[in-house]
Order: sequence, then structure tokens, then C-alpha cells
Amino acid sequence: MSTRPSKQAAAREVLDILHEISTLLNTHLDRTTLSLCVSLVENGVNPEALAAVIKELWRESGELRGGGEGGVE
Amino acid sequence: MTEERNQRIDSALSSIVEAILPVNPGEDDEIADERHEAALERARAIIKSHGQPSIVPDVQHISDMIKKRLVRDNKTPEPALKFSTLYTRLLNQRVLSQKWAILYLLHELSDSPKARPSTSAAGIRDDAFPEAGIVETRRIGSAGEHAFSEAFSYMGLHRLPGRDSGRGPGTGGLAGGDLGSQWNSFGQSKGDSAMKTKAELLAENYEDTEPTEQALLSSLPFTLLGLSSSHLPFTTSSVSAPPSGRDISTTQKYAISIPPTLPLPLVSLLHTLAEPSLLYRSLNEFVQSSSEGGTDGGLVGQSLKSAIGIELRGYINLVGGLENEIRRAVAAAETTIGVRTAGVTLKRCVVWTREATMGLRLMSLIVEQTSDKKGGQLISTIHSFASSHGDPFVHAFAERLLSHVTRPFYDMLRHWIYDGELTDPYLEFFVIEQPNLPDVGGNKGGASSVWEDKYTIHSPQVPTIMTESFAKKVFLIGKSLNFIRHGCSDSEWVESYSKSTSKELGYGDTARLEMSIDEAYKTTMARLIELMGSKFKLFDHLRALKKYLLLGQGDFIALLMEGLSASLERPANTLYRHNLTAQLEHAIRGSNAQFDSPDVLRRLDARMLELSHGEIGWDVFTLEYKIDAPVDVVVTPYGSRQYLKVFNFLWRVKRVEFALGSSWRRFMAGARGVLKAVEDLVGADWKKARCVVAEMVHFVNQLQYYILFEVIESSWDTLQTAISKPEATLDDLIEAHAKYLQHITHKGLLGSTSSRSSGKGKKAGTDGDDTFMTQLHEILKIMLAYKDAVDGLYGYSVAEYTRRQERGQRIETRTKKGEWGIREADEEGETAGRGSNPEDMMLPSLRQRLKTLSGDFQARVVVLLGDLAYQSDMDMRLLGVLLSFNEYYPVVNKRRARGERERRNTPRTQPGVKPKTRDGSTGESATGSGVQEGE
Repeated sequence: MSTRPSKQAAAREVLDILHEISTLLNTHLDRTTLSLCVSLVENGVNPEALAAVIKELWRESGELRGGGEGGVE
Repeated sequence: MTEERNQRIDSALSSIVEAILPVNPGEDDEIADERHEAALERARAIIKSHGQPSIVPDVQHISDMIKKRLVRDNKTPEPALKFSTLYTRLLNQRVLSQKWAILYLLHELSDSPKARPSTSAAGIRDDAFPEAGIVETRRIGSAGEHAFSEAFSYMGLHRLPGRDSGRGPGTGGLAGGDLGSQWNSFGQSKGDSAMKTKAELLAENYEDTEPTEQALLSSLPFTLLGLSSSHLPFTTSSVSAPPSGRDISTTQKYAISIPPTLPLPLVSLLHTLAEPSLLYRSLNEFVQSSSEGGTDGGLVGQSLKSAIGIELRGYINLVGGLENEIRRAVAAAETTIGVRTAGVTLKRCVVWTREATMGLRLMSLIVEQTSDKKGGQLISTIHSFASSHGDPFVHAFAERLLSHVTRPFYDMLRHWIYDGELTDPYLEFFVIEQPNLPDVGGNKGGASSVWEDKYTIHSPQVPTIMTESFAKKVFLIGKSLNFIRHGCSDSEWVESYSKSTSKELGYGDTARLEMSIDEAYKTTMARLIELMGSKFKLFDHLRALKKYLLLGQGDFIALLMEGLSASLERPANTLYRHNLTAQLEHAIRGSNAQFDSPDVLRRLDARMLELSHGEIGWDVFTLEYKIDAPVDVVVTPYGSRQYLKVFNFLWRVKRVEFALGSSWRRFMAGARGVLKAVEDLVGADWKKARCVVAEMVHFVNQLQYYILFEVIESSWDTLQTAISKPEATLDDLIEAHAKYLQHITHKGLLGSTSSRSSGKGKKAGTDGDDTFMTQLHEILKIMLAYKDAVDGLYGYSVAEYTRRQERGQRIETRTKKGEWGIREADEEGETAGRGSNPEDMMLPSLRQRLKTLSGDFQARVVVLLGDLAYQSDMDMRLLGVLLSFNEYYPVVNKRRARGERERRNTPRTQPGVKPKTRDGSTGESATGSGVQEGE
């Protein structure tokens, strides 16, 4: 029913909404990451797991920035 | 497909890793790549290890969690509101299939520690996982069930001191400690085992049941609503149900089957929880049945159904709230060790549904008890719960139900007291209309049947919310209105009245209801009395009845008697009605009655009673006063008969008085002429006769005086005061009038029995029946007979006089001729003839007759006086005193000697003869009559 452009527009709108929510929730996700997350989740990834992954990545990047000390594992 | 998906996931993951991990410009690409690879690998591992999500995929639930969090974290409500709008917009989008997942992700990541130093773990922990264990009471309270806000202990549980540390191991570990190990050993307690609370110990030893408590909890809301679920299916067993049973709720039994694998405590919990669900189910059936069954319980029954329906809606609300809690708890608990820590357990559900269960139980009890009742009885049954139940919960509940249930009842009440119409299709009201009432005025019952019989009060249907007297008042109001409308054909007034005063009535406002009913009562009654007095001239009719039927109009009666006496002496079958009416006309025209209103005179009629052979006109003549609707409500047909009875009695007394009077006149006139001449022969007889006649005249006069003045006039006075009272009702009028008549008949000696023992009467009276009525009738009959006898004596005296005259003339003529005045032959003839001549035989027989009659008379009067002296009624004793004012008649033993001196004919007493077994008066009267006969 829906043509391709309209689908894209819808996707953008969804992304807009999600981004706003994520700002509201103070998640520090940028648009790109968010869209990646959306696609992951849509593909059936457990959101809990994804959250854990993202948190872990953030931690790691924080460590890297902070000088890489206190690494785990 | 999965291959492709995995690939996509991989690429996306790597993009994310790339996006997040910073690229250090100082490092070389290899190290960066290696790190990248390592992170990617780990991320894959994490994702794989998690498998299925631990929470319920419910977008609503997650949005709730986010909202709550926003509310809590922000001082102002704007973010939450903003989120709400965004959320609705998101829901409208069709692109995303896993909305909950992305929302959950965002939720999980919110306030993530990216920007914070990792050392603030404790603070983050507090903020980040609020839902894990806390069930906020705020939410529960808003569900509208005060049951929740009761001081249940579950709030306390969370505040246990050990709980704070207990939360750490479950969820807080995410932020603190080493993440890697935490990820893999999810849910494993890392806390010090020595610090464990008992609850935790219990939790550790908790063995999962099959099905799990969690699963049971999830299906609990369905069960509570009476729906089958996979774990707790309902079974319907209509074992004892008769196939034709209309009432489904009573014929079909429901049962819930509980999985046999559960441990005993859980089974008992489930049993407890099954009660409300079963109750709900049967009640629901009951409510549903109203739409099909229709007229079963009448209007009140239908309103009961609707009220129960409303209560059930409240119950559904409660279950909805409960479901919310359960779902939240289940969702939160997925991530932790068990449901119990989440605050919602089966036990807690039991506690939460307890009040509701009581309500349901009460309702099903009500339904059960009222199944065969309707209308007022139904209300009474519910009211008995409200009024005579100590449990305040039951009381409040029943009151709430009542306010719904009574609505149709009050509607009926309103119609009844403001319109005077009964709108009661299912016979629920406590006033019942008699279905097959004859047409008004069609038969002689007429209006009285409209008033007395058209509506009856059915006391079992009077609901206990109103008192008996109150119900009576209500009944009277409606009846009066109806009577005004139909009996008095004054429906305009009723309509305008109902328009001006009609107002809503409702349960609970008893004072106002009572006030408005009192008001309606007063208005209606006043109107009715006014109508009766002005339009239907009730009081004029009553006065006319007294005047004509109770001989109040003396001149009229005297004239009538004079005019009729001649024709009434003749046999009854020679009387003609037109003669009677002509005489009546004459009497009316000749007396003051002519000034009465024509309407009254029109109703006056003279007629004859049923003819029976051998009676003379006196016995069958009667005056009649015609009463028509609606006055015959007061002067009932029975009352008219009473009037006739009194009239006939009075008429008889009057007739005797009249007869005695006319005879007396003759004797007195004769005494100066004819009788003087024969004094030597019948002088003594005449003296005796005059005495007895005087006695009789006295008796009749006193009797008349007593009845007319002491009885009728005083009763009339009482009646007047009773009916002129301002707050008198029609019922009061009827009652006053009935009492008036009853007084007259009773005190006027027309009552059915004298109050003395019948045994005495049998011994003393010559006839077995010892009523005053028969006694008086006998006395009056004796009087008439005596009067006839005296008339005979008079005739004899006159005959004797003429004989003497003739003899004197003969002597005179003979002496003139020069012969002997009296010859031998004459003398002989006279003496001889005296023995054989019937004329000569007359005197002794007359004497004998006079003597017996006077003796009879006196004996009867003595008996009557004896009876009167022992009457409880003052007035009747007064009559006794009046009749024997100088104690001429002996009443008691000790006065007998004096009585004997005074009386010529007094029965001589035998002092020693007083019977031992009888009381004084009995012996006296009995011996008195006995002596007389012997004399």
C-alpha cells in the first residue's frame, strides 16, 4: 500500500520521535546509533542485551579516554 | 533468512562499536581494529547469552515505567507530558514492529553513566532501577480501591533494613563491581550471606512449582473475571440442574479446577481466590439474565440487577488494577529471583481481593435470598442487611445497593401520593388494586367499595424502610386522591395538585420524604373533607338522618304519627305506598321540615318493609333516607341499616307512647263522665289500671328521653366535635360516624346482647333470649296489650253505663206509668244473666287479663332494671335510675321491703326464700315474678 518514499518518511518520523524520547530520557544516544539500535532491535535482538552491550561499550570508551587504566578482563 | 538477519545484526553491531568506541589518533589502526574486534566479539557474546527478553513484551507497561521514571526524576511534569504525546505519536506509526523493545532499550539506557564517572555507582544504582522492587502505593491508590491503601504489610516489607542490601545482589550489580562476571552470573547473589534476611533465605529455598506462581499470577486476572485460563480452567457441571430451569444462576454450578501438581498451601490460596471468581460468574449470569428473562423480578428486581451490575463493574475495575500490579510485578520480577520479591504474590492477591470477595459474597447472598421475593419484600430483605447488621462494611454496602434498588419503588410511591394512580405492573407496591371491582354505582356497594375495597394495603409488601403508620398514611393519601378523582369526579384538582407539588423522592432522605408525605397527606385530606362537606353535603345528610330517622324533628314525627295511626292499625297488606307517601308529604308540609332543603326532603321516603302475613301496618312501616355515592362512604349500607333499626325501635316506642297517650286522654275524659257512673262496679279496676298506665307512660317517657337526649344527642355532640376537627380525615369521619351509630345502638339498648351472663337470663326471663332489644320489645308489646285491655275495660264500662242508663230510663218510664220501677223478673234476669251473659263474663276475664299483664309488665321491668344496674356503661345505668328514680321497683334485696310498702302490686317477698346459689339480684327478680304469678 505504502510507496517507498512514504515509508522512508515514516521511518524518519519514527526516528525523530525516538530521538526526542531518548533526549528526554537522557540516554546520550546520537541519531546514528539510535537508528542502528532500531534496526538491531527490529531484527530481534534482545533489548536488554543491547543495552548491556552499549553500556559496556561506553564504559570501555570511557576507560580509553581516561587513559585506559582499570581495564576489566 | 536467519543468515541474512545475523549478518545484518553483525554489521549494525560493528557500526555501533565503531560509533561509540573512540578512535585514538595516536594509536595505530591494528590496535584499534583489534580492540574493535574484541568489543564486537564481546557484544555478540552478550547478545547470545541473553536469549529471550525477561520482561513481558508489552508496550503499555514499558511506557508506564518510563513515565513514572520521568515523573520521579523531574521536578516538573512537563517531560512526562511530552513523553506521553511522543508515545502516542509513536504508537500511531506502523513502521516499527518492536516498539516495546526500542522503548525498553531507551529506558534501560536512560541516565546511563556515559557522562558520569564510574565511581558514582551507588547513586546510579538507586536511580536506574527503581522498578525492580518497589511497587508504588501511589499507583495502587489511584486505582480507586481503598482496599489497597489499607495498611497492608507489603509496604513494610520493602522497608526492612536488610532490603537495601538485598536489592544490590539482584540488580544493583549492573553498575557496581565487575561487569563481566555479573553479566554471566545474572541473578546470583553477591552479597554477604551472613547478612541475609529471613525473607531472602526463604527465597533461596523456594522451589518452583508447576505451574509457577508467576504463571498462576498471570492467569489470575482472567480467573477473577470468571474466564477460563490454561492453568485454571473453569468447568461447568449442570448436574442437578433441571433442564427447564430459567434462572441460570441457580441451576448451573461452576467449578474451577486447580492443577493437581501444586503444593497444598498454594491450593488453599487458589481456593480462596476461586471464591470471588465463582461468585462473580454466577452474579454476572444473574445480571445478564435480566435482559432475557425480562419480567421476572419486576421493576425492583430489575433495579437490583442493575445495582449489582454496577457493583460488578467496580469489581472489574479492581481486577484491572490488580492485573496492572501483577503484570508490573511479573515484568519486574523476571529480572530478579522470583515473584515474591516483586511485591505481588498470590497471598497478597488474596488480601487485596478480600473486601471485594465480601462484597460479592453479600451480593450473592442477597440474590439468593431475594430470588423468590419482589417489590417491598425485596427491599425489606436488603434493608435488613443495612439496618440490622453489625458489620459496617455490610451496612454501607447494603445502603449503597438500596439507593439503587429503591428507585423504582420511590417512583411508584411518587405516582401514588401525587397522582393517586397505581403504576405497578408487577404488583410490587404495598398497595394492591382489587382487579375485579364492580362498576362504581352499579351496585349498591357504590362508592364505599371504591373507598374501602378498591385498594388494600398489603402489609408484607411494606418495605421496612418505612414504618407501618407511615405506610398507612401513604396508602390513605393515594386512596384519597384516587377517590377524589374517581369517586368525586374532581380530577382537575388532582391534576393541578400533582403538578404543583410533585417532586422526586429518593432513598436516604427520610426526613424530607416524611415531610413531603405529611404535607401531601394534609392537603389531600383537607381537600377531601372540603369536598365532602361542600359538594356532597355530608354534614347536611347526617343532620337530616338524625332529624328524620332518629326522630330529632319532633313536630314532623308527631304529625306523621297522627296522620298514619289510623291506617297503620290495619293489616299490612291493605297498606298502599302512595297513601304512605301522601301522609309523609302532609307531615313535611305541616311541620318545620318544610324549611329543609329540597335535596334533603327528596331523599326522604316512606316505605314498607318486606310483607309477612298477619302483621299490621305498624310493624312494616319505615321511613327511609336515601344515600347515594359518594356519601355512602361514610354512611355505609350497614350504617343505613343501623339507622333503620334505630328508627324502627324509636318508632315503636313512639307508637306506644302515642297509643298510651290517646288512651289516657280517653280515660281522663271518661273519668269525669261515664266512668263516674259505674264507679261502684269498676272503680277499683280503673284505679289500678290508671296506676299501671301511669307507670307505663313513665317508662316510655323515660325511655324516650334517655334515647333521644342522653344517647343520641350526646353521641351527636361527640360526632360533631370529631368531624369538625381540622385534621380530620375521611377515615376519621367514617370511624366517627361508625362509632356514633355504634353508641346509639349499644346505649339505645339495641345491642345484640345485654352484658350479663346468659345463664341468668335463661332462668329469670320467660323467654330464652335475654337481649335488651327483646326485653324492650316484650315490654312494649305488653304495654300495647294492656292498653287494649284497658280499652276493653273502657268499653265494658261504657256498656255498663249505657245498660244502667237504659235501666234507669226503664225504671223512670215504669214509674211514670205507675208500675214498680224494678220487677222481680228483672232482678232475677239480671242476676241469672250475669252468670251466663257473655257481657257479664267479660269483667272478670278483663280483670284477670289486666292483672296478668300488669304483673308481667312489672316483672319484666324489674328484670330489665336488674340488667341495667349491672351495665358497665354509665349512661345505661342512668336509664335504670331514671326508670326507678324513687326506687319504686325493687332492685336489690334489702330495698324490697320499702318497695313493697309503696307498691300496690308489688310482688310480696319471701324473706327466707333467697336462693343460695344465685346472686342477690337474680333471686330477687326471679322470686319477684314468681310471686306475681301466684297472686
